[in-house]
Amino acid sequence: MSTSSLPRAPHHDVAPSDETALTSAKPESNDLVLEVKDFSVDYGWGERAVRAVRNVDLDVHRSQVLGIAGESGSGKSTLVYAVTRLLRSPAVITGGDARLFLEADKDIGSDARTLDLLGASERELRSIRWSQVSIVLQSALNALNPVLRISAEFDEVLRTHRRDMNRHQRRARAVELLELVGLNEDRLARFPHELSGGQRQRIMIALALALDPQLVIMDEPTTALDVVTQREIIGELRDLRARFGFAMIFITHDLALLVEIADEIAVMYAGTIVERAPAASLHDAPRHPYTLGLLNSSPPLHGEHRELVGIPGSPPDLAQSLVGCSFRARCPYALERCAREAPPLVGIEDGGRMVACWLHDGSPTNLPEPLRRKASPTARDDLAPRAAKEVRS
Amino acid sequence: MNEEGKSLLEARGLSRHFVVRAGGTIIRKKRIVRAVDDVSLDLRAGRVTAVVGESGSGKSVLARMLARIVAPTSGELVLDGSPVAIKQKRTLAYASKVQLVLQDPFASVNPVHRIRHSLERPLLIHGAAKTDVESLSESVLARVSLDPPSRYLDRYPHELSGGQLQRVSIARALCVKPQVLLADEPISMLDVSVRLGVLNLLRGLCDEERLAVLYITHDIASARYIADEIVVMYAGQVVEQSKGTRLIDEPAHPYTRLLIASVPDPAALTRDQVKGEHAFTGAAVSEGCRFYPRCPHAMEICRTSEPPMSEVGEGHMARCWLHSYTSEVSSGALTVRQRGGTVSKQ
Amino acid sequence: MSAVQIPKSPKVILGASIIGFFLLLMIVGPYLAPYDPSATNFAPNLTPSASHWLGTTSLGQDILSQLLTGARATMVVALVAGLVATFLAIGVGVAAGYLGGRADDGLSLLSNVFLAIPGLPLLIVIDSYLPVAERSNAFVIGLIISLTGWAWGARVLRAQTMSLRNRDFVEASRIIGESRTRIMVAEIAPNLLPVLASSLLFTILYAIGAYVTLAYVGLTSTSVWNWGTMLYWAQANNAPLSNEWYWFVPPGICIALVGTGLALVNFGIDEFINPRLREGGLSARQRRRIGMPRRPRLGFTPVRRVPGAMTRLSASEPR
Repeated sequence: MSTSSLPRAPHHDVAPSDETALTSAKPESNDLVLEVKDFSVDYGWGERAVRAVRNVDLDVHRSQVLGIAGESGSGKSTLVYAVTRLLRSPAVITGGDARLFLEADKDIGSDARTLDLLGASERELRSIRWSQVSIVLQSALNALNPVLRISAEFDEVLRTHRRDMNRHQRRARAVELLELVGLNEDRLARFPHELSGGQRQRIMIALALALDPQLVIMDEPTTALDVVTQREIIGELRDLRARFGFAMIFITHDLALLVEIADEIAVMYAGTIVERAPAASLHDAPRHPYTLGLLNSSPPLHGEHRELVGIPGSPPDLAQSLVGCSFRARCPYALERCAREAPPLVGIEDGGRMVACWLHDGSPTNLPEPLRRKASPTARDDLAPRAAKEVRS
Repeated sequence: MNEEGKSLLEARGLSRHFVVRAGGTIIRKKRIVRAVDDVSLDLRAGRVTAVVGESGSGKSVLARMLARIVAPTSGELVLDGSPVAIKQKRTLAYASKVQLVLQDPFASVNPVHRIRHSLERPLLIHGAAKTDVESLSESVLARVSLDPPSRYLDRYPHELSGGQLQRVSIARALCVKPQVLLADEPISMLDVSVRLGVLNLLRGLCDEERLAVLYITHDIASARYIADEIVVMYAGQVVEQSKGTRLIDEPAHPYTRLLIASVPDPAALTRDQVKGEHAFTGAAVSEGCRFYPRCPHAMEICRTSEPPMSEVGEGHMARCWLHSYTSEVSSGALTVRQRGGTVSKQ
Repeated sequence: MSAVQIPKSPKVILGASIIGFFLLLMIVGPYLAPYDPSATNFAPNLTPSASHWLGTTSLGQDILSQLLTGARATMVVALVAGLVATFLAIGVGVAAGYLGGRADDGLSLLSNVFLAIPGLPLLIVIDSYLPVAERSNAFVIGLIISLTGWAWGARVLRAQTMSLRNRDFVEASRIIGESRTRIMVAEIAPNLLPVLASSLLFTILYAIGAYVTLAYVGLTSTSVWNWGTMLYWAQANNAPLSNEWYWFVPPGICIALVGTGLALVNFGIDEFINPRLREGGLSARQRRRIGMPRRPRLGFTPVRRVPGAMTRLSASEPR
């Protein structure tokens, strides 16, 4: 990567190798699971439409944990649910591409293939849902049927996608899955209301892993739980990922939590990704003013007591058409240029990071001090083996 | 304005028990759940007291008992030096001194009325003249930094963001000019970026108007940020309390340690894997220490008898046998300051 | 901008115009009638013609005049009964739902009793005890019908109130010291508005049905014209058998139209309560025009890739 004069090219020009993968029938050396390009989602039609997600690029590698951080209304859940085509009308995907690269799966006898999620038929989508892409929601209480015992939930998932399994095999598989998440077999006979919040969320995780999916989406899986339970579940998720190697998209508003579990983090604001970086360097050396503000919004548990301010103001109304940078009104470093042009998400010099901010125009002198901090090379970088795709110049 | 440090609302041995029917299909047994058990607190002018606990720890019930919209089973309340007749209906005078801000800003402002209505009502109920209502509402909105106030008065709740609505909720509580402000998880439903704004507002009210503030939370880091005194509750009981942030810097109770270790903290490089039974915290234990089933340092005595509150440092109390007994029981895993024997009676 | 916005879908507009038309008829109908509806000075059993648009009865009365005059009594009874019953339902339902405990037990028992008693026989019994003079009074009849028609609404409102009772804004009102009555009237009741409107529409519908039925079985005064009495006379004179459709079909159609209008307006209220039904406010034709699937399937996000939309989107972004 060259130093000062960075090309301000949009993301997909930066990584041309992906284009070939898209056109070939089989994904070869490419280790992507999901690739999303220039993706936009609206709620509603015409003039009143809310542009919830705008021109987002995203890719998830095999066994990678991609964290998506953002506040309510940032479009983080909309993006992921729209990519999997789970959002219901009046949400509409208004543009872009989303492809799922599936490895050969001998359980169901399928070959490696590429699935165009936006062009796929309902049958194709149904065949990959849960078996290849599964989801854990925030509220397990709402996701589990209150009148069914837990065993019935497992039975249903396995019966639908694994036709050849008999009753005893299904039962054995359910017990095995429960063990994975640290629950006793006797939970199978319980109803959801008889379990604690943490146990229900563990059941949801076990259900999500039931069919060995290649991608698991976690939508704020621990937000409704207590911190102690959250800590346990995060630890378990880490172990499970290491053991089974599924890729994971982890959505949450808690950036500190993401830094612990994710390899790479994308920060969303007002429907776009504003920064994307390996977890540790995002935390140590944020490059976008919004990321910096978010990190400074959580009071620390240690160290000196000092006054913190958070981020003043509130996010823009996405039903209005936005000109310029969407964060400009709340940004302490806003430039005159920010009012005219929206900054694209581009690669910057240090270590495979991308940021959408005019402050990073290549001349470090313009950069405010807090955004110049160097990422400290720590042991934590080893925790993120797949630290971001390198940005090629 | 009250002199700083003056006790404005004191709770002594406050308890709330619920009777639940549980058990067999034919014979239903009654079981008593001690949602809040023998809690004493002293809220002082110009001080923020934080109560930290998980869901089910009884912290919300405690706040509602202090606001007197839930009746305590037993205990006493002392408001500004004079005892409160706890068995009688709450008086308007009590409401004008103690106000409660609820957790969910989106649900706590009536969606069909303009913001004006939500501020007018407390003003009118508590004796403001009709002609002053407009200017009073505006000044109270300005106090919570909703500027310019006139822009907000005629809005509907759905037009405001969560942070703005929580400010409206606080403004509504301020309308009655209370001395004690109770806040039940006021920031947990808000976006991360606006949380500090609300916390700083509460701190400012406490410092500038000498309110006594009770800040209830599950987020121990935010308690550290705002509070002068921290109380940790577990299963209806106070298990540890300290002045300042001692309790976070040097936690004495195993549960407090667990809580602190569980907070997501990217700055911590290595950490011990937290172990804990994820059982219900519904105060099912009838004798012994309530934390006993989850405690890594549990001893025989913990199963059989409940530990008392004992002093472990200057203004720092913990309810744990590890600290109440002399050195013979102190576990090596926990650095116990050997202050055994100073058992406090409440 | 108001918190309450009724969607302007074609359904609602059509429904509201039908109801508006019949309300207008209620006021001006009797004046529009070309003849005295009771006068028997025409030839009997005339088929529809220019002078008698809907023909005449076997007694030689003008049917159009009966229809127009009858609109008033029918609509007045329906409105009175609907309004009174809805007020009873609010009072009983909200109080039972909010107060809970013994008050709830008592009020629920009361509404359950009224639900369990079959409405029409009770109406017939009460009605037959009325002095004959009162039977021609639309207000009295309306009140009696409302007595049998409020219980269902009360149950619905009670359930709704119970779900609102524990909402935070009600608790917040309690915290600032608001009185119980005011919480019920000013905080809870406005939130029940959509349910209330829906309940009012159905009570009106019920009242029309009940009134027409009473008249049809001959229990109201035959000196007051309404659509039920018309059916009563048509039946008594064997009109259906002798193919005199112009006698009994027009009042039937009027009753059906009022019902349709009320139901259409209720669709609008449903869409207001549940925005998902609105589908972004687009009709099927509009959806087809912009290239959307006619019937979006649950769990399959529609995709619309229109080049024009993309350029508009990226206009603000330098590429």
